[in-house]
Amino acid sequence: MSESESNFKFAFYLGCIAPNRYPGCESAAIKTCKKLGIELLPLKGASCCPAPGAFGSIDLNVWYAMAARNLVLAEQMKMDIALLCNGCYKSIWEVNHKLKHNQDLRDGVNEVLKEIDMEYKGTINVYHIAELLYNPKYVGPEKVRDSITNPLTGARIAVHYGCHLTKPHKDREFEDEVMLNTEHPVWMEDLVAALGATPVEYRNKMQCCGAGGGVRGYDLVHSLDITNEKLINLKEVGVDALTDICPFCQLQFDRGQIEIQEKFGVSYNLPVLHYCELLGLAQGMSPQELGLDLHGISCEPFLQKVL
Amino acid sequence: MSIMARTKGYPEALEKKLRDQRYYREDSNPDFLKNVKTISRTIAHMCYQCGTCTGSCPSAPRSSYRIRNFMRRAVLGLENEALTDPDLWLCTTCYSCTDRCPRDIAPTDVIMAMRNLAFKRDIVPVNFLKTVQAIYSSGHGVPNNDVNRAAREKLGLTRDPPTTHMYPEYVKGIQKILDHYKLKANADRIVKEREG
Repeated sequence: MSESESNFKFAFYLGCIAPNRYPGCESAAIKTCKKLGIELLPLKGASCCPAPGAFGSIDLNVWYAMAARNLVLAEQMKMDIALLCNGCYKSIWEVNHKLKHNQDLRDGVNEVLKEIDMEYKGTINVYHIAELLYNPKYVGPEKVRDSITNPLTGARIAVHYGCHLTKPHKDREFEDEVMLNTEHPVWMEDLVAALGATPVEYRNKMQCCGAGGGVRGYDLVHSLDITNEKLINLKEVGVDALTDICPFCQLQFDRGQIEIQEKFGVSYNLPVLHYCELLGLAQGMSPQELGLDLHGISCEPFLQKVL
Repeated sequence: MSIMARTKGYPEALEKKLRDQRYYREDSNPDFLKNVKTISRTIAHMCYQCGTCTGSCPSAPRSSYRIRNFMRRAVLGLENEALTDPDLWLCTTCYSCTDRCPRDIAPTDVIMAMRNLAFKRDIVPVNFLKTVQAIYSSGHGVPNNDVNRAAREKLGLTRDPPTTHMYPEYVKGIQKILDHYKLKANADRIVKEREG
Protein backbone atom coordinates (compact mmCIF):
# COMPACT_ATOMS: atom_id res chain seq x y z
CA MET A 1 0.00 0.00 0.00
CA SER A 2 1.24 3.46 -0.85
CA GLU A 3 2.10 5.56 2.17
CA SER A 4 0.67 8.73 0.72
CA GLU A 5 -3.03 7.91 0.73
CA SER A 6 -4.64 8.72 4.05
CA ASN A 7 -8.27 7.79 4.22
CA PHE A 8 -8.79 8.94 7.77
CA LYS A 9 -7.44 11.80 9.84
CA PHE A 10 -7.53 11.99 13.60
CA ALA A 11 -6.32 14.39 16.27
CA PHE A 12 -3.72 12.27 18.07
CA TYR A 13 -4.18 12.58 21.82
CA LEU A 14 -0.88 11.55 23.44
CA GLY A 15 -1.47 11.52 27.18
CA CYS A 16 1.58 11.45 29.49
CA ILE A 17 3.31 8.08 29.68
CA ALA A 18 3.60 7.37 25.95
CA PRO A 19 5.33 10.65 24.99
CA ASN A 20 7.24 11.09 28.27
CA ARG A 21 8.31 7.50 29.12
CA TYR A 22 7.80 5.30 26.03
CA PRO A 23 8.18 7.69 23.08
CA GLY A 24 8.61 4.63 20.84
CA CYS A 25 4.88 4.01 21.27
CA GLU A 26 4.16 7.50 19.95
CA SER A 27 6.39 7.24 16.87
CA ALA A 28 5.29 3.64 16.21
CA ALA A 29 1.63 4.68 16.30
CA ILE A 30 2.17 7.55 13.86
CA LYS A 31 4.24 5.50 11.40
CA THR A 32 2.27 2.26 11.49
CA CYS A 33 -1.08 4.03 11.19
CA LYS A 34 0.18 6.03 8.23
CA LYS A 35 0.94 2.79 6.40
CA LEU A 36 -2.64 1.73 7.10
CA GLY A 37 -4.22 4.90 5.75
CA ILE A 38 -4.69 6.72 9.05
CA GLU A 39 -3.03 10.06 9.58
CA LEU A 40 -2.50 11.10 13.21
CA LEU A 41 -2.21 14.87 13.60
CA PRO A 42 -0.85 16.65 16.69
CA LEU A 43 -3.45 17.87 19.21
CA LYS A 44 -1.70 21.07 20.20
CA GLY A 45 -1.85 22.08 23.85
CA ALA A 46 -3.38 18.84 25.13
CA SER A 47 -2.65 17.99 28.76
CA CYS A 48 -2.87 14.92 30.99
CA CYS A 49 -6.28 13.31 30.34
CA PRO A 50 -6.32 13.79 33.51
CA ALA A 51 -5.40 10.52 35.24
CA PRO A 52 -8.81 8.96 36.03
CA GLY A 53 -7.58 7.33 39.24
CA ALA A 54 -5.83 10.33 40.71
CA PHE A 55 -8.22 13.08 39.61
CA GLY A 56 -11.44 11.08 39.67
CA SER A 57 -10.71 10.06 43.26
CA ILE A 58 -10.22 13.64 44.43
CA ASP A 59 -13.02 15.48 42.66
CA LEU A 60 -14.96 14.08 39.72
CA ASN A 61 -16.04 17.58 38.68
CA VAL A 62 -12.43 18.59 38.08
CA TRP A 63 -11.91 15.37 36.11
CA TYR A 64 -14.88 16.24 33.86
CA ALA A 65 -13.70 19.81 33.28
CA MET A 66 -10.07 18.93 32.59
CA ALA A 67 -10.97 16.15 30.15
CA ALA A 68 -13.49 18.47 28.49
CA ARG A 69 -10.72 21.00 27.83
CA ASN A 70 -8.83 18.34 25.85
CA LEU A 71 -12.02 17.44 23.98
CA VAL A 72 -12.65 21.09 23.07
CA LEU A 73 -9.16 21.34 21.52
CA ALA A 74 -10.15 18.52 19.14
CA GLU A 75 -13.57 20.08 18.55
CA GLN A 76 -11.78 23.23 17.46
CA MET A 77 -9.78 21.13 14.95
CA LYS A 78 -13.11 19.57 13.83
CA MET A 79 -11.51 16.17 14.21
CA ASP A 80 -12.23 12.95 16.06
CA ILE A 81 -9.63 11.88 18.61
CA ALA A 82 -7.47 8.76 18.36
CA LEU A 83 -5.43 7.68 21.38
CA LEU A 84 -3.28 4.76 22.47
CA CYS A 85 -3.79 4.44 26.24
CA ASN A 86 -6.62 2.79 28.17
CA GLY A 87 -6.41 5.30 31.01
CA CYS A 88 -6.72 8.17 28.54
CA TYR A 89 -9.63 6.32 26.91
CA LYS A 90 -11.47 6.24 30.22
CA SER A 91 -11.04 9.97 30.73
CA ILE A 92 -11.46 11.25 27.20
CA TRP A 93 -14.04 8.80 25.84
CA GLU A 94 -16.05 8.46 29.01
CA VAL A 95 -16.22 12.17 29.82
CA ASN A 96 -17.22 12.86 26.20
CA HIS A 97 -19.94 10.24 26.53
CA LYS A 98 -21.15 11.54 29.92
CA LEU A 99 -21.23 15.15 28.76
CA LYS A 100 -23.11 14.26 25.58
CA HIS A 101 -25.81 12.47 27.58
CA ASN A 102 -26.09 14.52 30.78
CA GLN A 103 -27.14 18.13 30.39
CA ASP A 104 -26.44 18.93 34.06
CA LEU A 105 -22.82 17.78 33.82
CA ARG A 106 -22.40 19.63 30.55
CA ASP A 107 -23.75 22.88 32.00
CA GLY A 108 -21.42 22.55 34.98
CA VAL A 109 -18.40 21.96 32.78
CA ASN A 110 -19.23 24.81 30.41
CA GLU A 111 -19.59 27.21 33.31
CA VAL A 112 -15.95 26.52 34.19
CA LEU A 113 -14.71 26.42 30.60
CA LYS A 114 -16.27 29.86 30.03
CA GLU A 115 -13.52 31.25 32.26
CA ILE A 116 -10.99 30.17 29.64
CA ASP A 117 -13.13 31.11 26.62
CA MET A 118 -13.97 27.54 25.73
CA GLU A 119 -17.24 25.72 25.25
CA TYR A 120 -17.82 21.99 25.08
CA LYS A 121 -20.22 21.26 22.20
CA GLY A 122 -20.16 17.46 21.90
CA THR A 123 -19.28 17.39 18.21
CA ILE A 124 -16.54 14.76 18.07
CA ASN A 125 -15.97 11.09 18.83
CA VAL A 126 -13.09 9.36 20.58
CA TYR A 127 -11.38 6.13 19.48
CA HIS A 128 -8.61 3.90 20.79
CA ILE A 129 -6.09 2.97 18.08
CA ALA A 130 -6.57 -0.74 18.91
CA GLU A 131 -10.25 -0.27 18.14
CA LEU A 132 -9.45 1.41 14.80
CA LEU A 133 -7.02 -1.37 13.89
CA TYR A 134 -9.61 -4.03 14.66
CA ASN A 135 -12.56 -2.33 12.92
CA PRO A 136 -12.57 -3.14 9.15
CA LYS A 137 -14.31 0.20 8.56
CA TYR A 138 -10.95 1.81 9.36
CA VAL A 139 -8.35 -0.96 9.10
CA GLY A 140 -9.26 -4.48 10.24
CA PRO A 141 -7.00 -7.52 10.85
CA GLU A 142 -6.90 -8.35 7.11
CA LYS A 143 -5.41 -5.00 6.19
CA VAL A 144 -3.02 -5.25 9.14
CA ARG A 145 -1.86 -8.62 7.77
CA ASP A 146 -1.39 -7.15 4.29
CA SER A 147 0.76 -4.31 5.67
CA ILE A 148 3.45 -6.44 7.29
CA THR A 149 6.79 -7.28 5.71
CA ASN A 150 8.40 -9.07 8.63
CA PRO A 151 5.94 -11.63 10.03
CA LEU A 152 6.65 -12.46 13.67
CA THR A 153 6.52 -16.17 12.86
CA GLY A 154 7.16 -18.53 15.75
CA ALA A 155 6.79 -15.91 18.48
CA ARG A 156 4.42 -16.84 21.30
CA ILE A 157 2.71 -13.63 22.39
CA ALA A 158 0.17 -13.10 25.20
CA VAL A 159 -2.20 -10.16 25.38
CA HIS A 160 -2.85 -7.90 28.34
CA TYR A 161 -6.11 -6.07 27.52
CA GLY A 162 -6.03 -3.76 30.51
CA CYS A 163 -9.21 -2.46 32.08
CA HIS A 164 -10.39 0.92 30.94
CA LEU A 165 -10.82 0.41 27.21
CA THR A 166 -13.62 -2.13 27.58
CA LYS A 167 -14.66 -1.99 31.22
CA PRO A 168 -17.29 -1.26 32.42
CA HIS A 169 -18.80 -2.86 29.32
CA LYS A 170 -22.30 -1.72 30.29
CA ASP A 171 -21.24 1.87 29.54
CA ARG A 172 -19.18 1.22 26.44
CA GLU A 173 -20.44 1.51 22.86
CA PHE A 174 -18.29 -0.37 20.36
CA GLU A 175 -19.46 -1.03 16.83
CA ASP A 176 -18.26 -4.61 17.06
CA GLU A 177 -19.95 -6.47 19.89
CA VAL A 178 -17.03 -8.84 20.45
CA MET A 179 -15.23 -5.89 22.03
CA LEU A 180 -17.89 -5.77 24.75
CA ASN A 181 -16.91 -9.23 25.98
CA THR A 182 -14.82 -8.49 29.07
CA GLU A 183 -14.75 -12.02 30.49
CA HIS A 184 -12.88 -13.70 27.67
CA PRO A 185 -12.30 -11.49 24.65
CA VAL A 186 -10.16 -12.69 21.74
CA TRP A 187 -10.20 -9.73 19.35
CA MET A 188 -6.69 -8.61 20.34
CA GLU A 189 -5.50 -12.19 19.74
CA ASP A 190 -6.80 -11.79 16.18
CA LEU A 191 -4.64 -8.70 15.79
CA VAL A 192 -1.62 -10.58 17.17
CA ALA A 193 -2.23 -13.48 14.75
CA ALA A 194 -2.41 -10.94 11.90
CA LEU A 195 1.27 -10.20 12.60
CA GLY A 196 2.17 -13.84 12.03
CA ALA A 197 2.74 -14.52 15.73
CA THR A 198 1.04 -17.18 17.84
CA PRO A 199 -1.37 -15.70 20.40
CA VAL A 200 -1.22 -17.51 23.74
CA GLU A 201 -3.99 -17.79 26.34
CA TYR A 202 -3.21 -17.75 30.05
CA ARG A 203 -4.99 -18.00 33.37
CA ASN A 204 -6.98 -14.96 34.51
CA LYS A 205 -6.09 -13.01 31.38
CA MET A 206 -8.46 -10.16 32.16
CA GLN A 207 -6.97 -9.38 35.57
CA CYS A 208 -5.89 -5.78 36.13
CA CYS A 209 -2.17 -4.87 35.94
CA GLY A 210 -2.43 -3.44 39.46
CA ALA A 211 -1.34 0.12 38.71
CA GLY A 212 -4.67 1.93 38.41
CA GLY A 213 -6.81 3.90 40.81
CA GLY A 214 -3.75 5.58 42.32
CA VAL A 215 -2.73 2.27 43.93
CA ARG A 216 0.73 2.27 42.31
CA GLY A 217 1.47 5.52 44.10
CA TYR A 218 -0.41 4.64 47.31
CA ASP A 219 0.89 1.12 47.96
CA LEU A 220 3.55 0.02 45.48
CA VAL A 221 4.03 -3.47 46.96
CA HIS A 222 0.30 -4.18 46.86
CA SER A 223 0.12 -3.04 43.26
CA LEU A 224 3.21 -5.08 42.26
CA ASP A 225 1.76 -8.16 43.92
CA ILE A 226 -1.17 -7.99 41.49
CA THR A 227 1.30 -7.64 38.60
CA ASN A 228 3.34 -10.51 39.95
CA GLU A 229 0.30 -12.79 39.93
CA LYS A 230 -0.15 -12.08 36.23
CA LEU A 231 3.55 -12.70 35.58
CA ILE A 232 3.33 -16.07 37.36
CA ASN A 233 0.38 -17.04 35.15
CA LEU A 234 2.30 -15.93 32.05
CA LYS A 235 5.37 -17.88 33.06
CA GLU A 236 3.24 -20.99 33.42
CA VAL A 237 2.35 -21.00 29.72
CA GLY A 238 5.71 -19.76 28.45
CA VAL A 239 5.58 -16.71 26.20
CA ASP A 240 8.21 -14.72 24.29
CA ALA A 241 6.52 -11.38 24.90
CA LEU A 242 3.50 -9.71 26.42
CA THR A 243 1.66 -7.12 24.37
CA ASP A 244 -0.52 -4.34 25.75
CA ILE A 245 -2.57 -1.41 24.50
CA CYS A 246 -1.92 0.91 27.42
CA PRO A 247 1.41 2.61 28.24
CA PHE A 248 0.50 2.71 31.95
CA CYS A 249 0.00 -1.08 32.00
CA GLN A 250 3.24 -1.29 30.01
CA LEU A 251 5.06 0.76 32.67
CA GLN A 252 3.64 -1.47 35.39
CA PHE A 253 4.74 -4.69 33.64
CA ASP A 254 8.05 -3.41 32.25
CA ARG A 255 9.52 -1.16 34.97
CA GLY A 256 7.42 -3.17 37.43
CA GLN A 257 9.47 -6.31 36.73
CA ILE A 258 12.56 -4.44 37.93
CA GLU A 259 10.73 -3.36 41.09
CA ILE A 260 9.43 -6.93 41.59
CA GLN A 261 13.01 -8.18 41.33
CA GLU A 262 14.06 -5.67 44.02
CA LYS A 263 11.14 -6.22 46.37
CA PHE A 264 10.22 -9.90 45.89
CA GLY A 265 13.52 -11.27 44.52
CA VAL A 266 11.88 -12.87 41.48
CA SER A 267 12.83 -12.12 37.90
CA TYR A 268 10.94 -12.93 34.74
CA ASN A 269 12.75 -10.98 32.00
CA LEU A 270 9.56 -10.91 29.98
CA PRO A 271 9.66 -8.34 27.15
CA VAL A 272 6.59 -6.08 27.20
CA LEU A 273 5.59 -4.27 24.01
CA HIS A 274 2.71 -1.98 23.12
CA TYR A 275 0.77 -3.41 20.16
CA CYS A 276 1.88 -0.41 18.05
CA GLU A 277 5.51 -1.35 18.74
CA LEU A 278 4.83 -4.97 17.71
CA LEU A 279 3.09 -3.77 14.57
CA GLY A 280 6.07 -1.53 13.82
CA LEU A 281 8.45 -4.51 14.06
CA ALA A 282 6.21 -6.55 11.75
CA GLN A 283 6.05 -3.65 9.30
CA GLY A 284 9.84 -3.67 9.16
CA MET A 285 10.75 -0.85 11.56
CA SER A 286 14.03 -1.38 13.42
CA PRO A 287 14.15 -1.76 17.22
CA GLN A 288 16.06 1.56 17.31
CA GLU A 289 13.30 3.32 15.35
CA LEU A 290 10.84 1.98 17.92
CA GLY A 291 12.91 3.03 20.92
CA LEU A 292 12.84 -0.52 22.29
CA ASP A 293 16.18 0.18 23.98
CA LEU A 294 14.27 2.48 26.36
CA HIS A 295 12.36 -0.42 27.87
CA GLY A 296 13.30 -1.51 31.39
CA ILE A 297 13.29 -5.19 30.42
CA SER A 298 15.48 -6.04 27.43
CA CYS A 299 13.55 -7.02 24.31
CA GLU A 300 16.66 -8.76 22.86
CA PRO A 301 15.65 -12.42 23.32
CA PHE A 302 12.32 -11.69 21.64
CA LEU A 303 13.98 -9.67 18.86
CA GLN A 304 16.42 -12.49 18.11
CA LYS A 305 13.45 -14.75 17.56
CA VAL A 306 11.54 -12.48 15.20
CA LEU A 307 14.18 -10.50 13.28
CA MET B 1 -46.35 -6.72 43.39
CA SER B 2 -48.83 -4.94 45.64
CA ILE B 3 -46.18 -4.51 48.32
CA MET B 4 -43.75 -3.13 45.77
CA ALA B 5 -46.35 -0.65 44.59
CA ARG B 6 -47.12 0.54 48.10
CA THR B 7 -43.49 1.20 48.95
CA LYS B 8 -43.50 4.06 46.46
CA GLY B 9 -45.80 6.16 48.64
CA TYR B 10 -45.19 5.44 52.33
CA PRO B 11 -47.09 7.77 54.61
CA GLU B 12 -44.68 10.08 56.36
CA ALA B 13 -45.00 8.34 59.73
CA LEU B 14 -44.19 4.95 58.21
CA GLU B 15 -41.30 6.45 56.28
CA LYS B 16 -39.91 7.79 59.54
CA LYS B 17 -40.42 4.51 61.35
CA LEU B 18 -38.63 2.53 58.66
CA ARG B 19 -35.87 5.08 58.59
CA ASP B 20 -35.41 4.69 62.33
CA GLN B 21 -35.28 0.94 61.85
CA ARG B 22 -32.74 1.09 59.10
CA TYR B 23 -30.37 3.61 60.61
CA TYR B 24 -30.16 2.04 64.00
CA ARG B 25 -26.55 2.86 64.78
CA GLU B 26 -25.63 6.10 66.44
CA ASP B 27 -22.80 6.72 64.02
CA SER B 28 -24.86 6.28 60.90
CA ASN B 29 -25.70 9.20 58.64
CA PRO B 30 -28.58 8.68 56.17
CA ASP B 31 -27.25 11.52 54.00
CA PHE B 32 -24.13 9.47 53.30
CA LEU B 33 -25.99 7.08 50.98
CA LYS B 34 -27.69 10.04 49.31
CA ASN B 35 -24.38 11.80 48.70
CA VAL B 36 -22.70 8.63 47.45
CA LYS B 37 -25.54 8.11 44.98
CA THR B 38 -25.47 11.70 43.75
CA ILE B 39 -21.72 11.72 43.12
CA SER B 40 -21.43 8.17 41.78
CA ARG B 41 -24.61 8.29 39.66
CA THR B 42 -25.16 4.63 40.48
CA ILE B 43 -27.98 2.84 42.36
CA ALA B 44 -25.91 1.99 45.44
CA HIS B 45 -29.02 1.30 47.58
CA MET B 46 -29.89 -1.73 45.40
CA CYS B 47 -26.99 -3.81 46.79
CA TYR B 48 -28.14 -7.12 48.26
CA GLN B 49 -24.71 -8.14 49.53
CA CYS B 50 -24.13 -11.14 47.28
CA GLY B 51 -20.36 -10.58 47.30
CA THR B 52 -19.78 -10.96 43.57
CA CYS B 53 -17.84 -7.68 43.77
CA THR B 54 -15.39 -8.91 46.41
CA GLY B 55 -15.07 -12.22 44.56
CA SER B 56 -14.03 -10.33 41.42
CA CYS B 57 -11.65 -7.91 43.12
CA PRO B 58 -7.88 -8.23 42.47
CA SER B 59 -7.15 -6.29 45.67
CA ALA B 60 -9.22 -8.54 47.94
CA PRO B 61 -6.93 -11.63 48.02
CA ARG B 62 -3.93 -9.57 49.16
CA SER B 63 -5.44 -7.18 51.70
CA SER B 64 -8.33 -6.60 54.08
CA TYR B 65 -10.08 -4.48 51.43
CA ARG B 66 -13.60 -5.77 50.86
CA ILE B 67 -15.67 -3.84 48.37
CA ARG B 68 -18.83 -5.55 49.63
CA ASN B 69 -18.14 -4.08 53.06
CA PHE B 70 -17.99 -0.57 51.57
CA MET B 71 -21.28 -1.20 49.75
CA ARG B 72 -22.87 -2.16 53.09
CA ARG B 73 -21.46 0.92 54.75
CA ALA B 74 -23.01 3.04 52.00
CA VAL B 75 -26.45 1.50 52.54
CA LEU B 76 -26.21 1.77 56.33
CA GLY B 77 -24.87 5.31 56.22
CA LEU B 78 -21.68 4.42 58.07
CA GLU B 79 -19.84 7.46 56.81
CA ASN B 80 -16.99 7.77 59.30
CA GLU B 81 -16.23 4.08 59.19
CA ALA B 82 -16.05 4.11 55.38
CA LEU B 83 -14.13 7.34 54.86
CA THR B 84 -11.48 6.74 57.51
CA ASP B 85 -10.71 3.17 56.41
CA PRO B 86 -7.29 3.17 54.65
CA ASP B 87 -8.53 0.25 52.49
CA LEU B 88 -10.69 2.79 50.61
CA TRP B 89 -7.57 3.62 48.58
CA LEU B 90 -6.77 0.03 47.50
CA CYS B 91 -9.29 -0.10 44.63
CA THR B 92 -7.41 -0.20 41.32
CA THR B 93 -10.64 0.84 39.53
CA CYS B 94 -10.48 -2.25 37.29
CA TYR B 95 -14.30 -2.30 37.08
CA SER B 96 -14.49 -6.12 37.28
CA CYS B 97 -17.05 -5.80 40.09
CA THR B 98 -19.05 -3.33 38.02
CA ASP B 99 -19.05 -5.65 35.02
CA ARG B 100 -20.29 -8.56 37.11
CA CYS B 101 -22.71 -6.93 39.57
CA PRO B 102 -26.06 -8.73 39.19
CA ARG B 103 -27.85 -5.61 40.44
CA ASP B 104 -26.32 -3.37 37.76
CA ILE B 105 -24.65 -1.23 40.39
CA ALA B 106 -21.22 0.25 39.74
CA PRO B 107 -19.39 -0.48 43.03
CA THR B 108 -16.22 1.06 41.55
CA ASP B 109 -18.02 4.37 41.20
CA VAL B 110 -19.27 4.06 44.78
CA ILE B 111 -15.62 3.86 45.86
CA MET B 112 -14.77 6.89 43.71
CA ALA B 113 -17.64 8.83 45.30
CA MET B 114 -16.46 7.88 48.80
CA ARG B 115 -12.95 9.05 47.91
CA ASN B 116 -14.40 12.37 46.73
CA LEU B 117 -16.22 12.70 50.08
CA ALA B 118 -13.05 11.73 51.98
CA PHE B 119 -11.06 14.41 50.15
CA LYS B 120 -13.56 17.03 51.36
CA ARG B 121 -12.41 16.10 54.86
CA ASP B 122 -8.72 16.23 53.86
CA ILE B 123 -8.53 12.43 53.95
CA VAL B 124 -6.40 11.61 50.90
CA PRO B 125 -3.05 9.90 50.29
CA VAL B 126 -0.32 12.36 49.34
CA ASN B 127 0.48 10.71 45.98
CA PHE B 128 -2.90 11.84 44.63
CA LEU B 129 -2.08 15.43 45.53
CA LYS B 130 1.37 15.27 43.94
CA THR B 131 -0.27 14.39 40.62
CA VAL B 132 -2.41 17.52 40.98
CA GLN B 133 0.68 19.62 41.66
CA ALA B 134 2.52 18.17 38.64
CA ILE B 135 -0.40 18.88 36.32
CA TYR B 136 -0.77 22.40 37.71
CA SER B 137 2.82 23.26 36.85
CA SER B 138 3.28 21.41 33.53
CA GLY B 139 -0.09 20.08 32.33
CA HIS B 140 1.24 16.53 32.67
CA GLY B 141 0.90 14.06 35.53
CA VAL B 142 4.05 12.29 34.31
CA PRO B 143 6.22 15.12 32.89
CA ASN B 144 9.05 14.94 30.35
CA ASN B 145 12.73 14.81 31.38
CA ASP B 146 16.12 15.29 29.71
CA VAL B 147 16.85 11.59 29.14
CA ASN B 148 13.49 11.23 27.42
CA ARG B 149 14.02 14.43 25.39
CA ALA B 150 17.21 12.98 23.94
CA ALA B 151 15.45 9.68 23.21
CA ARG B 152 12.59 11.48 21.46
CA GLU B 153 15.05 13.37 19.29
CA LYS B 154 16.71 10.10 18.24
CA LEU B 155 13.30 8.76 17.20
CA GLY B 156 12.71 11.78 14.98
CA LEU B 157 10.15 13.24 17.38
CA THR B 158 10.18 16.78 18.76
CA ARG B 159 12.14 17.03 22.04
CA ASP B 160 8.93 17.98 23.80
CA PRO B 161 5.62 16.46 22.67
CA PRO B 162 3.14 18.86 21.01
CA THR B 163 1.16 19.05 24.25
CA THR B 164 1.35 21.67 27.00
CA HIS B 165 5.05 20.78 27.05
CA MET B 166 5.66 22.36 23.63
CA TYR B 167 2.93 24.97 24.06
CA PRO B 168 3.20 26.09 27.70
CA GLU B 169 0.83 28.99 26.97
CA TYR B 170 -1.96 26.42 27.41
CA VAL B 171 -0.96 25.71 31.03
CA LYS B 172 -2.66 28.93 32.18
CA GLY B 173 -6.08 27.57 31.16
CA ILE B 174 -5.45 24.40 33.14
CA GLN B 175 -4.43 26.42 36.18
CA LYS B 176 -7.65 28.43 35.92
CA ILE B 177 -9.73 25.25 35.90
CA LEU B 178 -7.89 23.82 38.92
CA ASP B 179 -8.11 27.18 40.75
CA HIS B 180 -11.84 27.34 40.07
CA TYR B 181 -12.17 24.26 42.28
CA LYS B 182 -9.44 25.48 44.69
CA LEU B 183 -7.76 22.16 44.03
CA LYS B 184 -4.17 23.40 43.90
CA ALA B 185 -4.55 25.48 47.08
CA ASN B 186 -6.03 22.51 48.95
CA ALA B 187 -3.38 20.13 47.61
CA ASP B 188 -0.57 22.50 48.65
CA ARG B 189 -2.07 23.00 52.09
CA ILE B 190 -2.53 19.27 52.79
CA VAL B 191 0.92 18.30 51.45
CA LYS B 192 2.48 21.01 53.63
CA GLU B 193 0.60 19.79 56.71
CA ARG B 194 1.79 16.24 56.11
CA GLU B 195 5.35 16.89 55.02
CA GLY B 196 6.11 20.22 56.66
